Amino acid sequence: MPTEVFNPNPVVFSPAKTLGRKSELLAHSLWIDEPTSSDDETDNVELIDQDEVFDLIRSIYDPEHPNSLEELRVVSAPQVSIDQNRITVEFTPTVPHCGMSTLIGLCIRVRLLRSLPNRFKVDLFVKPGSHQSEHAVNKQLNDKERVAAALENPVLLDTVEQCLRDAGRRGQPVEA
Amino acid sequence: MESTERLIRTWIATEKDEDIKEIVSEISADKTNLVNVVKGLGEYLTADEEDLRRKGVEFLSLILASLPPDKINKQSTRVLSTFYAGKLEDSGTIIPALKGIQTLVKLPTCGTLEVQSILRSMFLHAKMKALVQSVRFVVFSILDSLVANQRDVLKAMGKEFLDGYVLLVDGEKDPRNLIVAFAIARVILIEFDIHERVETLFNITFCYFPITFRPPPNDPYGITTDDLRAALRGCLSATPYFGSLAIPVFLEKLLAGTRATKRDALQTMGVCLPVYGSALARAEARKLWNSLKLEIFQPTDSVNEEEALRTTQILVKTIHETDEPTGDDAEIQGLAREVCEECIGILKEPEKSQAKPAAKILCAFMSTTPSVAKYTISQAIPHLVKLFFDPDEAGNRMPVLTVLSEFITAARESLSKLSPLPAQTEDGMEMELTVPPLTPHKDEVLGVLMVGLKTASSRRPALAGLQGVVTTENLLTDEELTFVVHNINEILGAGSDDLDDASDAVLDLLSAVAKVNTRPVEEQTLPLLFRSLPDTPPASDAISERVKILNVLSTLETLCVQAQLFETLVIRLTTKLDLICVPSSSFLTGSSAMEDEVELHAAYAHWILNTLAKTLRKKVDKGDPDVVKYIDRLIPGIFNLFVFAAFSASDEEVGGRVEEERWRKRLGVATDPRLVKKAGEIITLVLQVLPLVKQESYAVALYDALIEGNIKSIVEGHQKIPSDRKLLVFSDTTPTVQKNLVALFAAAITPLRKEVRPVVSEVNSFLDKVLWWSLGTADSELQRDAALELVSSVLNKRVDTDGLDTFLGTTLSVFWDRKINSVGVSAERRRNAIKAWKWISKALLIRNHPMALEFTDRLFEAFGDEAVGWDAAKAVGEVAGTDDVLTKKHHAVIRILYAQKYVNRVLPRIIAGAKDSTKPREQTASLVALTSLITSVPKAAYQHELPGLIPLLLRGLELPDANIRWNVIDTFLAAAEGDSPEHSLVASHAPTLATLMLKNSNVEEMPSLRVRISALKYLQKLPSIVRYDILHPSKSTVLKELAKALDDPKRAVRKEAVDARTAWFRYHGSA
Repeated sequence: MPTEVFNPNPVVFSPAKTLGRKSELLAHSLWIDEPTSSDDETDNVELIDQDEVFDLIRSIYDPEHPNSLEELRVVSAPQVSIDQNRITVEFTPTVPHCGMSTLIGLCIRVRLLRSLPNRFKVDLFVKPGSHQSEHAVNKQLNDKERVAAALENPVLLDTVEQCLRDAGRRGQPVEA
Repeated sequence: MESTERLIRTWIATEKDEDIKEIVSEISADKTNLVNVVKGLGEYLTADEEDLRRKGVEFLSLILASLPPDKINKQSTRVLSTFYAGKLEDSGTIIPALKGIQTLVKLPTCGTLEVQSILRSMFLHAKMKALVQSVRFVVFSILDSLVANQRDVLKAMGKEFLDGYVLLVDGEKDPRNLIVAFAIARVILIEFDIHERVETLFNITFCYFPITFRPPPNDPYGITTDDLRAALRGCLSATPYFGSLAIPVFLEKLLAGTRATKRDALQTMGVCLPVYGSALARAEARKLWNSLKLEIFQPTDSVNEEEALRTTQILVKTIHETDEPTGDDAEIQGLAREVCEECIGILKEPEKSQAKPAAKILCAFMSTTPSVAKYTISQAIPHLVKLFFDPDEAGNRMPVLTVLSEFITAARESLSKLSPLPAQTEDGMEMELTVPPLTPHKDEVLGVLMVGLKTASSRRPALAGLQGVVTTENLLTDEELTFVVHNINEILGAGSDDLDDASDAVLDLLSAVAKVNTRPVEEQTLPLLFRSLPDTPPASDAISERVKILNVLSTLETLCVQAQLFETLVIRLTTKLDLICVPSSSFLTGSSAMEDEVELHAAYAHWILNTLAKTLRKKVDKGDPDVVKYIDRLIPGIFNLFVFAAFSASDEEVGGRVEEERWRKRLGVATDPRLVKKAGEIITLVLQVLPLVKQESYAVALYDALIEGNIKSIVEGHQKIPSDRKLLVFSDTTPTVQKNLVALFAAAITPLRKEVRPVVSEVNSFLDKVLWWSLGTADSELQRDAALELVSSVLNKRVDTDGLDTFLGTTLSVFWDRKINSVGVSAERRRNAIKAWKWISKALLIRNHPMALEFTDRLFEAFGDEAVGWDAAKAVGEVAGTDDVLTKKHHAVIRILYAQKYVNRVLPRIIAGAKDSTKPREQTASLVALTSLITSVPKAAYQHELPGLIPLLLRGLELPDANIRWNVIDTFLAAAEGDSPEHSLVASHAPTLATLMLKNSNVEEMPSLRVRISALKYLQKLPSIVRYDILHPSKSTVLKELAKALDDPKRAVRKEAVDARTAWFRYHGSA
């Protein structure tokens, strides 16, 4: 446990509305409950989009609280942008003096490193004006060498793994 | 006397049990007596050698233990007790002496004097620290018996006993002894006059708290930590004298302890506080609360948080239990008030993370005492209401409502806990208790919830709150329920776009209202919903309209399970169905494209039938008794519509005019095979629940219609069908739309009970006819399947009763040769014949009919066939699978373990075939049969063979058929269930498996989406079922290859790939 708690009583937000995929599905076919042969083999490509990237990182835990980054509004779908092979993720620390920002950033970085195809270049930024040492944090997070070095540290890696333990939930509640 | 001495001498020399027995029997038979024994022992008891003395005393104790109690008189007891008390002094004889005392104190002849002398000697001479556990245990047993039998004597000894006892138990550490010691201590603490020795007793009990004992593995004594904890807790909570001393200990342990200690401290406090009394609780309230608060606001884990809440509840209850409910404004003082104020203070920022525990505490208060609950409500609700309407806090309405709805639910829960037995003698009291605590604030709360309902963001908590309000007994009046429903209807009607998120909650709420009172839902919501179902379907590109209709229908489906609502549903939907399928001629618009229009109408009708079927299924599953009546209210109408449509659509053209032609086509809506199938589903659902008598009478009419075409008695409805018109489904010349109706008949026949006789002149020839019809005359999948299901169902239920051997015989000989094993017939026909074969075999197999295996064995003969080999192989497996026709619900005859028997029979043959490489075609077919069999039967049936099957299944993964691969991977997934790294089935094949799965997960090599997803799922599973050292060499390859799957064109695949890759990243050696 870190000795200093940077934000003892953060605001908790409820998770954003789930995507309207249900109606999307219903709209797909005129007939319901009838097997359609085309389900399996259609070749239309579903590109990786904003929501998908957000899904990957929304359930990462905050190192300080038992809440997810989504619940604390550290990350949100509109803060992700995709331009061909370049992904930009912006995140908002809960308080400007948050000393955990780099760690949060590192968690996001690791999650995306593991979950996105190699062709993407990911840029990670603190939301402009939301952190007192914004520049330093940004620099640290986008420096390949420093990220790699950080992950060599077993204690740090363990903390990151802890934050990522339920990242696969993708915004769904924990199963009982 | 002589024999006694002889026996004593032999025993001293040999220590054999027989001598003891013999002496005991002699004493019992009055041949000798105890005095003689003591006399005989004389020289040993006073011997110089310690060993001899010990043996002497031991001998006496052993005899004493075996003697019947009535052989020891008062006199001997006195002598013996003095004797043993003396022997305690001697360190050489103390052990056997204690054993003797153990027997002695149980005797009824043991009196006050004896007890006292024994105890005094024990206190003086028994040095517990010098004795081993087993001897100490004897001491505790003696004390235990004394406490049980001689309590008054001990009490009379007063402080002397207490001091002596403390001396004996001080420093005891063995759990076996402690369990006894705690039991003794509890009695002493409760019954003895201890007030002068409170501190000493406190010291010898509280030094054990908290219990940290952990039983060694394979502990033969079976004492658990929990046993000790419970026993100690019994002591700690035994006397209120401990109170002021105990609280600091508890608080200290709570503050400094580990998780387990904290939990123990919290639970123990919960037990002790009520005993220690309200005065103490009140005095220590602040301190206690400060510590408990910490556990609630910064909990170590959720269990401790809950325990802390429970302890807080108990604390508040203890403090305020004695409060008199002082009339109307029960102004609570003390802790409850302070905590309430504190929590409400925190709730001024309901959006912050601390608000949650604060709300939890207030909710917990609801289940303490009625007056506290009342006070809490009177404080919290107005606060929340004010906050809700505060314009500065407009952005925080959602969290406010969340807290409020939690509060409402807690208030509802408290109702059942708070109201004690209704036998309250004082008038007024009883009335007051059944009134929900929320009642005085009902209007404000409802108002807030209604406002919250209007905004999308706060809708969910508002609905949850309403759910709580509606389900609270005696809270809302019927008018208020109507008001609630009215408001929900408004958001239902307002458009479904932003409702998506909350629609489930809306439905739950409406269902909850319907449970209390159906009227508001029936009178307000249902008409609204029915109104939004148009008479004509929206155009094919009007997606939002379509989604809206589907949403309405699924709402109806959830809502209308209740009998009264379902009746309305059936009436309204069947009317709608008739309107869609058979419009009045004025509806015909000339412009729209005909094909399209028919398709749209058919789909719309299908949705409606689907809604009916789904709702009906829910009712059937629930066992609702009102389903039976729909045999008269729903089924004839369905037959009517479909028969009418089939007739109209296939009528000979009369004039051939364009309009008439169009009209006929339009009527063909209800001839769509998908609709017919759905209608069949409804028929099956109703018929399966009919009682036998009704099924029998219905069967008469049904078979008459099927064979003779007399449909009049089963058809009744809006559409006019000439009464002499006949429907001959089995005739060769019947148009196909009419033949389709065989599906309706099959749907009605398959759920009939086995006692219901098929009403035909000869069942053998009837089945024969239907079977050949299915291959010869039937011209669609629907017709074929229906006919086969019919044959299979009748065969299964009636094979013995109706003597259907003739049918089986001819089928086995003629049908096989002519339809399957004949190269002249087209491959498609042969395939259909194999399907028929499968259904017949299945009907026999599930009832363990002796001929079943003759049928399935034939299938193996076709394995070598180029055209149908694979079909036959698949059929071998599918025969054992379950389907939705021959089920228990449809009253099929199913014997248990039929699948097991079948697997035991055919599996060796399949395995042999799969290993035999001399016939490649048969070998592949065997592999196909294997995968098909394994996917059809429960895992238990092939579990024991699994290790041998894995290499074969691996080969199955390389077969070109995607479906087979998918089945194989599924089998692996099923086999992985319950597998663990310690003894994994797949350990020796794991690297191969990983490679094969990777191949199947790559989009370039595996076009099928399903297979890729399953393969990735299996890859995700692998790390949890195989030891790390086995797969360590594969890790880097797998991670690299999985990176490719991360770029899959399909989202669903990418998701699995991410999860699989995460699992592999986490895969480390256990060190």
